[in-house]
Amino acid sequence: MTAEPRFLIVDDFSTMRRIVRNLLKEIGFGNAEEAEDGVVALSMLKAGKFDFIVSDINMPNMNGFELLKIVRSDDALKLIPFLMVTAEAKKEDIVQAAQCGANGYIVKPFTKATLEEKVQKIMTKQG
Amino acid sequence: MAQTEATVHESDENIYRRIGQLTRTLHDALRELGYERELMDARDNLPGAAYIARVTGEAAEKVLNAVDRARTVQQELTEQADSLRSRWQAVAAYAAGGRACTPAGKQLVDETCEFFSGVGGQADRTNTILTDIMMAQDFHDLTGQVIRRVVALATSLEEQLVKLLIETSRPEPRPQLDPYKLEGPVVAPNARDDVVADQKGVDDLLASLGF
Repeated sequence: MTAEPRFLIVDDFSTMRRIVRNLLKEIGFGNAEEAEDGVVALSMLKAGKFDFIVSDINMPNMNGFELLKIVRSDDALKLIPFLMVTAEAKKEDIVQAAQCGANGYIVKPFTKATLEEKVQKIMTKQG
Repeated sequence: MAQTEATVHESDENIYRRIGQLTRTLHDALRELGYERELMDARDNLPGAAYIARVTGEAAEKVLNAVDRARTVQQELTEQADSLRSRWQAVAAYAAGGRACTPAGKQLVDETCEFFSGVGGQADRTNTILTDIMMAQDFHDLTGQVIRRVVALATSLEEQLVKLLIETSRPEPRPQLDPYKLEGPVVAPNARDDVVADQKGVDDLLASLGF
């Protein structure tokens, strides 16, 4: 991972993208880009190097699960940490995210402390 | 205990009548909420939901913009306070020797240094509050998702109920129609009660079904 990790924030609500971006900046990660769905995110991932993905699940065009599966099956992208931040609170969704290779799962509404804890935990595991 | 065929038929009629009433109530409620137009074209976009999403989104963006501006002001204030604090600490050190300073002046210098020292902590507390305000804007996302689902559900329910109403509202069994014997234009509509005479009859009929 580079000295200044580059984040990709994927959410169909601009407000939430902005909130996550500001929170990441507050906890020390000011390098972030935004995508409004999985399709846009995938094209951005293929076009440029990203070190961390923070993604919603319920989005038009391509949802977070689909994006995660594609990322994990792509040799160039499969090692990128993937954190789900979503309002989907069903156990089966959480299990599915984990089975698909998500590194973390945050349920909305969430706090700055929760985001910081999950991001730091994933960063630490990734080394 | 065996129910007679007539009793079963009567029971079904009651259920259908209740569903019909429910359909009209739902339709009226949606129309009052401003969804009448959407119901005319329910499978297309839902402008009402889009409006709610847009307005709440704009409100949330305004708050986030204000939070950003407040953070900038807070940051400038903190930096200026830091700069002045170091300079006033030098004055305080000079005054501590009792030189060129009255007791009141020394007290003022000390209190000024104390004030500048506290600015950083106050800025942190303000930033925490601003973060809370920012986080509260997640309502746009959370309510937006629910609004989408509710409107989609209401529209789907309405469509299904209206279909059911249309299919079951006739008290008499439907006659077996021969598709090859469609009547075409009705020559003497006023002499019959099973046809409409004009477009108003069509509109009235549809209105009676809640459209």
